[in-house]
Parts: sequence; C-alpha cells; structure tokens
Amino acid sequence: MININKLLSELLYDPKDPVLFNSAFFFYFFAMFLLCYLAVSKSKTARVWVYTVFSLFFFYKACGYYVGLVILSAIVDFNLSRWIHRTPSRTVKKSLLIFSILLNIGLLFYFKYTDFFIGIINDLSAGHISPLHLMLPIGISFYTFENLSYTIDVYRDEIKPVNNFMDYLFFLSFFPKLMMGPIVRAADFIPQISMPYRLNSEDMGKGMYLIMGGLFKKIVISDFIYQNFVQFIFDDPSKHTGLECLIGVYGYALVIYCDFSGYSDMALGIARWTGFKIPANFDSPYQSSSITEFWRRWHISLSSWLRDYLYIPLGGNRKGKVRQFINLALTMLIGGFWHGASWNFIFWGALHGTALAVDKVRIDWLKKKKTVITGWKATLLKVAGVLITFHFVCFCWVFFKASTFHDAWALIHQVMFDFQPGIAMELYNGYTAVFWIIILGFVLHFLPAKAEFSIERLLGRIPVAGSVAIMVTFIWLLVQVKSTQPMMPIYFQF
Amino acid sequence: MSGKNKSAYPFYIIVGTLICLVGLSQLNYTFSYKDFQFRKLDMLSDLRTSSPDKQKLTAVKDSSKLSGLDSTATPAKNNIPNPDNTHDFMSYSGIMEYASPVPGDTIVGMKHFLAVLKELKEGKRRKVRIAYFGDSMIEGDLITGDLRDSLQSFFGGAGVGFVPVTSVVASFRTTITHTFSTDWKDYHYKNAPPASVTLGLSGHTFLPGGNSWVKYSPVKKPRLDKFREVSVLYGPATAETININDKAYTLSGSQPVNRLDLEQDTAQPSLMLRYAGNTAMPFYGVCFESGNGVYVDNYSFRGISGVELGHLSADMVRRMQQERPYDLVVMHYGANVLFRPELTDYSWYQRPMKKVMDSLRQDLPATSFLIIGTADKSYRKTDKYITAPGVGALLKVQHELAADHGTAYWNLFAAMGGEGSMVKWVEGDTVLANKDYTHFNRQGAARVGALLYKAIMNEYRLAQQP
Repeated sequence: MININKLLSELLYDPKDPVLFNSAFFFYFFAMFLLCYLAVSKSKTARVWVYTVFSLFFFYKACGYYVGLVILSAIVDFNLSRWIHRTPSRTVKKSLLIFSILLNIGLLFYFKYTDFFIGIINDLSAGHISPLHLMLPIGISFYTFENLSYTIDVYRDEIKPVNNFMDYLFFLSFFPKLMMGPIVRAADFIPQISMPYRLNSEDMGKGMYLIMGGLFKKIVISDFIYQNFVQFIFDDPSKHTGLECLIGVYGYALVIYCDFSGYSDMALGIARWTGFKIPANFDSPYQSSSITEFWRRWHISLSSWLRDYLYIPLGGNRKGKVRQFINLALTMLIGGFWHGASWNFIFWGALHGTALAVDKVRIDWLKKKKTVITGWKATLLKVAGVLITFHFVCFCWVFFKASTFHDAWALIHQVMFDFQPGIAMELYNGYTAVFWIIILGFVLHFLPAKAEFSIERLLGRIPVAGSVAIMVTFIWLLVQVKSTQPMMPIYFQF
Repeated sequence: MSGKNKSAYPFYIIVGTLICLVGLSQLNYTFSYKDFQFRKLDMLSDLRTSSPDKQKLTAVKDSSKLSGLDSTATPAKNNIPNPDNTHDFMSYSGIMEYASPVPGDTIVGMKHFLAVLKELKEGKRRKVRIAYFGDSMIEGDLITGDLRDSLQSFFGGAGVGFVPVTSVVASFRTTITHTFSTDWKDYHYKNAPPASVTLGLSGHTFLPGGNSWVKYSPVKKPRLDKFREVSVLYGPATAETININDKAYTLSGSQPVNRLDLEQDTAQPSLMLRYAGNTAMPFYGVCFESGNGVYVDNYSFRGISGVELGHLSADMVRRMQQERPYDLVVMHYGANVLFRPELTDYSWYQRPMKKVMDSLRQDLPATSFLIIGTADKSYRKTDKYITAPGVGALLKVQHELAADHGTAYWNLFAAMGGEGSMVKWVEGDTVLANKDYTHFNRQGAARVGALLYKAIMNEYRLAQQP
C-alpha cells in the first residue's frame, strides 16, 4: 500500500535517516534531477538554476535548515571576493582577506571545535562550562575550504571573481561533492559551468565505472567488513586477541579507504554524467612505497589544498631545513585536526607530519648520493617500501579510529603481547566471508590501472539497454549484500 | 571516439534501471541457494504504510512465556516468605532473597551480609568482604570497580582488594597500575595444571621463574591513591625468600593458602615484589586494603560460564575463607553460556552449576551468596537486533539455582530494562554497550555497578527497618 503522506514526508529532512548516495531515495532524486536537467540543458542559466535548486534540496535532506549556512557563506564570500578584486589598495585587500578567513574559520570552529575547547578548559581549570552539543552541519569542512581557496586565489590574482552569484552558489552547493568532498577548486570548476552539456562515450564509460565502482567499494567492501568484523574490534580491543586486532586494523585500512574513496568515486561519476570533470581524489594510495607518495595519492584534494594554502604560505621548503620540518609538522597537525575535534586526530596528524619530515631527510640523502638502484634490488626496495608504508599508515589508523587513546594503546598492546596465532583457523571459520572480502579488496586495490581503463572503455561502448541490464543486476546483487540499516559513512563527521 | 552527444544516456540508464527495479519489487519471488536466502528487492519500502509490527507481537508473547510468576503460590520455607509470591523473577529489578530449602538450614539470601554491613556501620566490625566472580563482563575491574567505590564511600574502606600476580587485562585496569615480568608460569582453568598445583580462588596459580617480579602502583583516584595494608597470598612454601621494596621476607606455610601481612612503606608509593627463592612455589596474588570498610575482590576469568569453579579444591576454598573471609560471594555469569542465541535448553548448564553451588555452599557455610541473572543479549534476526530467546531460558535456570541454594538473586536483564534493553544500550545517545550486543563498555559497566549498588542498598535499608 503506497501512502501519500509517507511520500510527502520522504521529502522532508529526517535527522534519523539522512540521505546517502546508496539509498533508494537518492535513486528517485537523481532520476527527477536528470529529467529536469535534460529538459533545460540548452540554456546555461536554467541548468545552473536546476542544479542549484536540486543541490540545495539535497543539502536540506541531509542536514535540515543548516542549508542556510551554505547560502549565507556563498553570499558573503561572493561579495567579499569581488570587493577584494575591485579595490586597488593592498591594505584593504589584505584586511578583507583576513576578514574572510576569520569568518570562514570562525564558523567552522564554532560548529566543529567549540565543545572540544570547552572540554579542554574544563579539564585545565576544573571549570564547568556546559558543552553546546551542536550538530555539525554536513559538509561544512569541505565548503569552508572551498570558500577559502576561492577568496585566496582571487586575492592572489590567480583567478578573476565570478560575476554571477548563482554560478558561485552552484559551485559551492554542487550536490555530488557536497557531503564527502572532494574539495573542488573554483578555478577548475567555474569554467566548466558555461560549457554546453555534451557527453561522449568516454564520459559515459568513466561515469558508469566510477558510480558502480564507488557503490561496490562502499557497500560490498567497506560496509560489509565494518559491520561484520571491524566495528567489534574497535569497540573494545581489549576483548579481542592480537591476531583479531591486527586483522581488524588491516580491515579498517580497507574500510576507511573504500568508504571514503567509494563516496568520492560516486561523486566524480555523478558529476561526470552531468558534464563536470572533477580531479580524482584517490590514486590507489596503498600502492605507495613511501609516506610522501602516500600523501600524493590519498585524499588528494585535501593534501593539495593544505600544500597550496597552508604549507607554501608558511614558507614551504624555502626557509631552510628546520623551518621546512616545522612547516610540514604544522600542516599535518592542522590536517589531522581538520578530520575532527579530538586529540586522536591531532596525534594522527602529528605522526604523519613526523613521518613526512623523516622521509624528506631520506629523499634528500638519496638525491645527494646520486646512486640509482636498478634491477631486482629496486623491485625489492619498492616492495619493502610498500609494506613499510602500508604498516605505518595502518599504525596511524589505530589512533584515527580508536575512540580514545586508551583504546588505541589497548589494541597495540593486544597485537604485541596477546597475539594468540593459534586461533587463526577458528577465526577463519567464524568470519570466512569477511576475510575473503578483505582479500578481494586488497587484490582489487593492487590491480594495474590498465584494467580500469579497459572496463571503462567497454562500459562506454555498451548501448543503453545493456547498461540498464548491467545496472539492474549490479544493484540486485548489492541489495543482497547491503544491510537494511544505512551506515553512516565514516567521513560524515568531518 | 564517437562524436554523438550522449547527454541523455544517464537519464535513460537511471530511469530504465529504476523501472526494472520497481518491477522486480512487485514480483513475489523468493529463492535460495544452499543456505543463502536471497532477499527480495523493495524499492518502495520507504513509501509503504508499515504493516502492524509482527516483531512486537512475538515479543509480547515471548514475555508472557518468560513470566516466572507461578499461579500456585509456594509455601514459605523456614518461615521466610517466598519472594516468588510477590515478585516475578523475570521482570523484578530488585534483589530477591531465597531461604534454603534444606530443612533446619537458616541460610537466607544476603541476610548474613546485610547483618555484617550493619555491624560495620555501627563500628562493631572491621571489615566486610565480597568475592565477585565473573567472566569478561567484569574484566579490568569493570562493574566491581564502581560497586567498590560506592560501597566504600558509604561504609568506609580504601583499596582494590585482591589483585592476581599477572593478568591479561592488567593494562586496562584503571583502579591499579599493574606490571609484571613475563616469566611467571600461569596455571589456570584452561591449561590443565598438573595435579601438584592447587588453583587459587581466582582460578589462577602463578609459579615464579628465575627473575620473576610484579609491581603494583596506586592510581590517582579517591581511595585508590595509596597502599597501606598489604597481604601476599601464596601456596605451600618452605622458607623461600621474596623481596618486597628491597626488603627480604621469608615465606613458609604448609596450608593451600598462606598469607604474609605487611604495612606499606610510606616512603614508597609502589609495591615491587621480586622472587628470590630457590624452588618455584605457588603464588595467588596481593591484596590491598586500608582501614575498616568494605572490600570487593574482582575474580574475573575470561570466557568461562561459572561451571569451572567446580575445579576449585574444597581445602583451598576453606583455607582461603580463614585467611581472607568473605561475607558475600557474587556469581555473575551468563555471557558465555548464551553462545547460541536461539538455544533455550540450559539443563546442560544447570546440572554442573548446581554441583558448583552445592560445594561452594558447603565450603562457605556462613557466607551469603548472590546470583546475578544474565544481562540482556541481543542478536541479529533478519534485519533487526532482538533479545536472544536464550536469555529468558537462562534466567530461569539461574533463578532456580538461587532458589534451590538459598541465595539472593538479582536479575540484571530486568534491571537493564528487560526485553530489547541491550539494543537501547548499544544504540542510545549515550553508548553503554559494545556492538557485539553483549559486553558493556566503561560507561555501561558503571551504570550496572550503580544499579547493583542501589539494589543492595535497598535490601540494606529494608533490613534496617524493625
């Protein structure tokens, strides 16, 4: 029995059931959107309006009236940037920029970090300030950074400000990347708005591959491993043997990667199908053979943002070795803090910052030595590099994921002192499906990029009916795997 | 590359897929392969008026089945009213006290324990001790730590009581800092100790190696921040030497449990025990107390059901009662009995557990016993977490054990909120339990400790009334 009131209430924001890409609701939403978008595809202005209205509605479904914050910050930054561009005085430009930075960071701080600092004050002075318990507006960490890069780029005269407010609001609220990124640069995005809506087979194949691959990563790999294994381990590591904890950490490495990059891929795929190319956010990061390489392949939009708007302005590598290390550490510390208001994230950032600094020393030393290692030695070195990097990253994930330091150390303690390899078979029998999915996940991760291209090309050449058949079969399979309770993606809290 | 504009394709694909999926949702098909039941697609589930919740109906039916209220009131034993006549043991969240069914036996629930608590409060007694047995639910002093804290703040006393020599959860215990060398040989329930080794009350006996040591340090918490009265519990020994904070002591004794008492050197906050003897002798643990009051000893053993207590020798238990007398023994088990959630026959558990209770009762004739009924445990049935059917069945067995042995009984499942409470504890705004829908986290354990304290204090106050 279809209930019309239920249909209407589905259109309203429900804090208990925020919308995700992998929900039935999104399917209907996307179909409606494509219909309207296609109907007005000839007119640039109409396209922008349709996209923006649907985006704002999507935002509203995801976080209620916080949608107002996006509109408000679009109004403020749109006007401030134009003002910065118009005014000839360097001092006025600078003060306007500082004002914009303070405003954006202030907003982010208010929603994300107030309770954290209240907690610190309470701990330090035994004060009793009650926490605000604010709900974090979804996506605020992403659009704040987008606003900042736009304003800073205008200030640096690297781009001209947007003339049309709707274009800017469209850029900021663009629904594919709204909740989980990637952080898109205005300089990349704005020029694409006025291009005609045209798709070729490459766009079709790439888009379909990204959407299906993203869904697969999110539902089959990430959610499945997380719900059926990893969450139990991190819930209370002390209750599990070292072997379980270690597999739990390996599993979590896949969970976080597949969850986050799966969501990013879906965003990229949807954008591609609607005529927008967004740079890839992940590039098989666990294939990296050094931590420096890892950060070039992991959450690329964030690390490049931090590089361009934090590390380089701090002086980068131009002010001597010591300053460079300090800059690196500081950048990663802030990068860690961006992920969430807790000491765990700060510590996680500090670990990565330190590792990057150490890796810099290694790279400089290699450069100075000028010996080039080739042949089997190079391969061996590369494999060792991949293994060491992966394990270091996993070690850091422990702190990233554990709810407290206590839990993190408990997990490490279990791995070191209570390993109990004897239970391996028992464990395998209890979690057979989970372990095979973990193995599948890692195998897929290490496939060469060539395989991806061939699948994309193939998908691009299939006629519509074939695509529908593939999609239906794929979704039917996903439903078999998916649990009915939608999981909150881990990166939601950012 | 084809030059054709395919901008309408995404729309066709999405709408085509949607139509097929909605169509598939309308078909009534089910099929399975081997054990795997394929799930039906339902693209319209969000839009349907939900049909009357079948889950709830079964839950109601279940709870009526769970009801333990007998229609025929059982007569009072030894002139003590049977609590089953006034309360339903399946839903009552307070402590129920049963009289021993053995004719002439005057044992009733926690009567002895409540009486000595009263004496303690009136200054007529120095110490009251509780031995709290349990599984992983109480590891790391969970629940017991909170119970001890509340009892000590009301009745006095300071210190964690018994701590074993080594422990797999030493690093997670927040009520004492505990480190030890790795060369202690730990004999316990699960590794078949040789016949010559007598297991201690904790289910462990520790034999030192050549360089064995164990170190305990107080923690910065009220009543736990310094050591005063220290006792070392050990097995038979013939003049072996240990060094405690660099002072030598000789251990001798022929009994299964012997005790060395000492006062903590106030100049040193920690206690460092080094074995300096010639032959390996058994150690059990070290007890920390300070002044008059209540002491709760945490006897946790991971993965056991309580049946393992049958391995304890009567001599050891009796001797332990002389060296370290207990006024109340708490038996908190269940999580490891419910390993198959849908199992509802626990006679295999009841039989050996009855033997355990029989012998403990015999070895500790004056001590009160409190059996804690299992906590709620949920499992995933189709798409939802619900209370395992085994919970009610196990509670019934635990209740019978209590009634048959004249112990007190406290239904933790009911105290948590009854049917479906574990789901609320796991998924509530304040998370109180882990995603395994079985174990409490620290906050949850604190809540259970507080609930138990409240239940005990209710009995205590009732006993004070004339």
